[in-house]
Amino acid sequence: MNGEATMKIDFSRLGEDRLFLVLSSAERLKVNNIAIIRTLTGQGYRVVVITSNHPSAVLKRLYEAEGIEMARVSFIDTITKYAMGKVPPGQEDCRFINSPSNLTDLGIAITEVLNTLSGEKACLLFDSISTLLIYIPSTNISKFIHFITSKLRLVDASGIFLAVEKGLDPLLLTQLTTYVDGTIDMDAQPPGNEVQAEK
Amino acid sequence: MNPEGRGEGAGSRVKCDDGPANTTHRLWILVLLGMICIALEIGVHLFLRTAIGYTHIFYVLLVLAAVWYYQKALYVAGALVAATLATSLFVGDFTWATLLRAAMFLIVTWIVAQISEERDRAKAEILVQKSAIEEKHYVLVGYLAEVALRMKNPIQILHDNMAALLLQLQGDKPDIDSVKMDLAVQISHAEQIMANFRDLNQAIVEEREEIPVAYRDFLTR
Repeated sequence: MNGEATMKIDFSRLGEDRLFLVLSSAERLKVNNIAIIRTLTGQGYRVVVITSNHPSAVLKRLYEAEGIEMARVSFIDTITKYAMGKVPPGQEDCRFINSPSNLTDLGIAITEVLNTLSGEKACLLFDSISTLLIYIPSTNISKFIHFITSKLRLVDASGIFLAVEKGLDPLLLTQLTTYVDGTIDMDAQPPGNEVQAEK
Repeated sequence: MNPEGRGEGAGSRVKCDDGPANTTHRLWILVLLGMICIALEIGVHLFLRTAIGYTHIFYVLLVLAAVWYYQKALYVAGALVAATLATSLFVGDFTWATLLRAAMFLIVTWIVAQISEERDRAKAEILVQKSAIEEKHYVLVGYLAEVALRMKNPIQILHDNMAALLLQLQGDKPDIDSVKMDLAVQISHAEQIMANFRDLNQAIVEEREEIPVAYRDFLTR
């Protein structure tokens, strides 16, 4: 995984364009998550990971093992409390949501985190829209992502929305594409092992 | 067809779905035919003193009026009956044949009106049923697409997460705590996918009434 996770993603437009939909194959979702975090922290971003696919504790250990600067990463965990019924110890710096389907609490948590990061180079990493689809109807997801993207634009923060490439139906994909500034297909890598965004 | 006077249900009037242009055309046709009938009544019956043959053209007017305006055509029939009887009385050829002819105007108009009304009511019912079926079908297809969206790729993600966990366990120093936590999450995913699948089955069962009870029970269990 180390070799794959060192892949760099071309977020050079992240200053002017703020929001990206990142499409990945299901088997490379975790690897791509790490690659994105590495790229963003390397560019000096404070990254807020909203996770619904893996517990934040697991991701934390994974990032640490990959040598990612954890001071720049914080979590909003929607799945641990729901799946395990409790919060594991040593997770005080993480915000937990009762259920991935509780979009109200998730929206509040995102607003609070963004407020605490005002004035900093902040980026929200949403991992992943495809997993959230297990718990929430696509119409609600679409509305929620629209809400988040509007929020991010208002506070001048960046956002990256991870999704499984073939997991979105054409209508949802079109809607999500209109909310963001660009789409990145992680599986269509150009030479030089650098994934570039397309508008 | 008839712009007014059509209701719903058995014995009542059916609804009209024709445009105003069509209604105007029909009115003009009936007015023209009515004028021809009156002209024939005056020209042939009153002046030529012949009560045979010309009344056949009346049936064209009466049938068309009954097809388009149902029972309201009886007013047209009544007017023609009145005109025929008045002319016969004036000319002096009033017989049982005159009365029979007048009765035939009314009977034929009533029968055609009844058949037309019934036919159009059945047609309207079929259209309503067709649109209801199409609507249900559209909803079901939308639901199927949504559930497929919420099952197909999540299962792929689940599979890959489980495979990753297996690899982790097969490693030299597996992080058992992480594996336990991740497994709990994957179980939650699987449970929710199963719930979504049950929802799909429920929707299918509710939609398809021909599915036997035993299978319905099995699908929604």
